[in-house]
Amino acid sequence: MSFVAAQILNGIATGMLYALMGLGLSLITGILNIPNFAHGALFAVGAYLLASAANEIGNFWIALVVAPLGVALLGLAIEYVGIRRLYAVGHDYQLLFTFGLALILSESIILIWGPVGYSYLPPPILRGGLDLGFTFYPKYRLFVMVMAGLLVLVTWLFLEKTRYGAIMRAGIENKEMVSLLGIDIHKLFTVAFALGAYLAGIAGALTVPIRGVNPGMGVDMLGIAFVVVALGGLGNLLGAIAAGLIIGVAQALVAAYWTEASTVVIYAVMAAVLLVRPQGLFGIR
Amino acid sequence: MKRPFILILVSIFLLPLVVRPAIASEIWIFAIFGLGLNLLLGYTGLLSFGQSTFFGSAAYVAGWLLKFYGINAFLALGIGVGVGAASAALVGYLCVQRSGLYFIMLTFALNQLFYFTAYQWTSVTGGEDGMPGIPRPVLLGIDFKDPLVYYAFVSVLFLISLYAMKRIVESPLGKILQAIRENEIRAEAVGYNVPRFKLLAFIIGGAFSGLAGVLYAMLFGIVPLEAISFVFSGNVVFATLIGGSGSLYGPVIGSFVFIWLSESVSTLWARWPLLLGMAFVIVVLFLRGGIVEAWSRFWLWRSSKQKN
Repeated sequence: MSFVAAQILNGIATGMLYALMGLGLSLITGILNIPNFAHGALFAVGAYLLASAANEIGNFWIALVVAPLGVALLGLAIEYVGIRRLYAVGHDYQLLFTFGLALILSESIILIWGPVGYSYLPPPILRGGLDLGFTFYPKYRLFVMVMAGLLVLVTWLFLEKTRYGAIMRAGIENKEMVSLLGIDIHKLFTVAFALGAYLAGIAGALTVPIRGVNPGMGVDMLGIAFVVVALGGLGNLLGAIAAGLIIGVAQALVAAYWTEASTVVIYAVMAAVLLVRPQGLFGIR
Repeated sequence: MKRPFILILVSIFLLPLVVRPAIASEIWIFAIFGLGLNLLLGYTGLLSFGQSTFFGSAAYVAGWLLKFYGINAFLALGIGVGVGAASAALVGYLCVQRSGLYFIMLTFALNQLFYFTAYQWTSVTGGEDGMPGIPRPVLLGIDFKDPLVYYAFVSVLFLISLYAMKRIVESPLGKILQAIRENEIRAEAVGYNVPRFKLLAFIIGGAFSGLAGVLYAMLFGIVPLEAISFVFSGNVVFATLIGGSGSLYGPVIGSFVFIWLSESVSTLWARWPLLLGMAFVIVVLFLRGGIVEAWSRFWLWRSSKQKN
C-alpha cells in the first residue's frame, strides 16, 4: 500500500512539473496564437543552465533563481527578434520557425554540453528522505511539489488578481478588442512569451536533481506539454493542473507495474480522454 | 500543365546520372510522402505534424511481413497503403474534432504515442536500432536488388501517385476540400459535413504516406526508428513548404531540394540538424512562399522587364 502511495506522490511531483510546462505553453499559445514547438527546448535550456550555474557558482539556490531568468531572457529575445514578424503569416510558417528554433537550441546543447547526459544531486538540505507515516519519501520531491504549487499559485494570482493579468486573459479571449482599448498588444505578446519561457525554464531547472540532464529531454517534454494543453484547454489554469496531475499520476502508477509503457501511457490517456470528451477536460473551444 | 510533367520525366531520367540511385529513389519516395501531406496542408488547410505516424506504421507492418513471411512486393505495398490509411483514420478521428492550434498539437502528440510504442516494443520493432533485414523481393522474374531497377520501380509508382493526386485534387472531392480550406464555416453552411471530409483527406494522405513508408523500408532494407518520429514529420512539412504548398508540384520540388541537400550535408557533419534549424528560420523570415512562388515571381519579373 505504501508503495502505491509513494508512486502516487511521485506522480503528483512530476504532474506538477507537467502542469507548469502546460501552463507556460498555454499562455504562449493562447495569447500569441502560435504553435510553440520550441517549448520543450526552452525546458531543456533551463535544465542545462541550472546544472551549469550550480556547478559554477556552487550554490543550487542562486542557480535556481538565475537559470529560469536566463530562459525568460532567451524567450524575450526570440519573441522580439523572430516571432514578432510572424503574427500575420499562417501557422505553417510559425511552426516551421519554432521547430527550427527547437533544432538550433537542442543541437547547441549538444555542441556546448556534449551528447551524453549526466545526473545532479539535490542541495545538501534536500538530500535524503522524510518519514510521512505511511511511507518514507525523498525530501527533494516534496520540495518540487511545494515549489511548483507555489509557482502555479503565483501565476494564478497574477492572472486573476492583477490588472496586467486581467489584460492577459482578455488577450486570450479577444486580441482586437484589447488593442482597440489602447493597450500595447505587442508588449503584451513579449511579456507573455517571456513568462511562458520562464515557466518552462523553471520546470526544467526543478527537474534536474530528479532526472539529471540529457539532450533528448526537451522533445520528450514538448509532447507532454501538448497533451496538457490539449486536455486542459488554452489559458485554463485549472485545466493545466488537472491534466498535468492526471497524466503524472497515471504515468507513475503504470511505471510501477509495467515500466516500458510508462511514456506511452501519457499519450494513451490523452487519446482515451479525447475519445470520450473530444473538447478536452473542461471543453473550451 | 504539360511543362511540369515533361520536366519531371526528364529529371527522372537524368537524376541517377547525377546522384546515387539510392538517393534518387529516396527523392521520389519522399515526394510521394509529400503529396500525401500536401492534400492536407495545401488543399484542405490542415497542418498535420504527425505524418510519420502513417509512414512509419506502414513501414513496420509491411517490413515485418516481408521479413518473416516473404510476402510479394505488391502485397506489401497494398498492405502499406492499407495500414497508412487505417492509422490515419484512427489519428484523424481524434484530430479533426479540434481545429487550429489544438489540431496541430494533437497530430504531434499522437505521433509521439506511435513513436514511443515503436521505441519500447523492441521485440518487434528493434527499438532504437530499427528493424533491419527487410528484403527487396523478386517480382515477375525481375530482381529489385539492382538499385537502378528499384529506382525505375519507385519512379513508376511515383508517377502513378502524382497522377492519382492530380485526379483527386481536380475531382469534386478536391474542390470540396479546397472550399473547406478557404472558408470552413461557409462549407459547413453549404451543407458539407466538414469533419467527415477532413477525415477523408486524412485517410487519403495516410494511404500515400503508407506507400512511401513501404518503399522506403525496401529501399534501405531497414525501418529506422526515425521513420516514425517527429523528425520525419517535420522533414516532410519542411520539404513541402520549401517547394510551396500552394501547388501540386510543390512537394515534388521540395523533396528534391530537401533530400539532395540533407543527404549531402548530413554525411559531412553530425550536427547538421543545427544547419537545418537555421535553414528553417531563414526560409521563414526571408523566403516565405517556397520555391514555386519564388520561381513564378522571377518569371513575372523577367517578363515585365522584357516588355519595357
